[in-house]
Amino acid sequence: MVPPVVVSPLIKTTRWSALLLGMIYGRQRFNYLKPIAEEERRIEEAEKAAREEQERIYKQLSEANADTILK
Amino acid sequence: MAQAAQKLVAKVPKLVGAAVTYTKPRLATFWYYARVELVPPTPSEIPKAIDSASGLIKSYQAGRLGQTTVKDALRNGLVATEVLMWFYIGECIGKGGIVGYNV
Repeated sequence: MVPPVVVSPLIKTTRWSALLLGMIYGRQRFNYLKPIAEEERRIEEAEKAAREEQERIYKQLSEANADTILK
Repeated sequence: MAQAAQKLVAKVPKLVGAAVTYTKPRLATFWYYARVELVPPTPSEIPKAIDSASGLIKSYQAGRLGQTTVKDALRNGLVATEVLMWFYIGECIGKGGIVGYNV
């Protein structure tokens, strides 16, 4: 087998510090995006309830209007 | 159906044993190389790294950039790309997922 290569210290430090920086960046971005996503979900729920209400009213009205004796 | 499930369950230890015998030598070669090439730098190597970095800056200022061969440039480019990819692996670890943020 080929003997393992001795890696220069510069490459080693840059690699592992890049890993560390990446972990920190990922964690911070996740913490930043999490409340925004929760807020969006909450707004979506509220709007969905309002929309369903509108659709229910519309359906009831259309059923009432379509109810004629000329069927 | 139940018999097929029973036969499968009986085969599991043999499969696990086969997987272990397959991966053991490959794991050994991986450790053989990783123990030298992938270890983090010891605290004594960090000043050496700083020295090499300042040496790089000095050679760039001395105008040695025009003297690098294409082969050297490609090799350095590949090494730099690999170092950058470690950043993205760290980001995947930090955000707790591979594709996208699971908010």
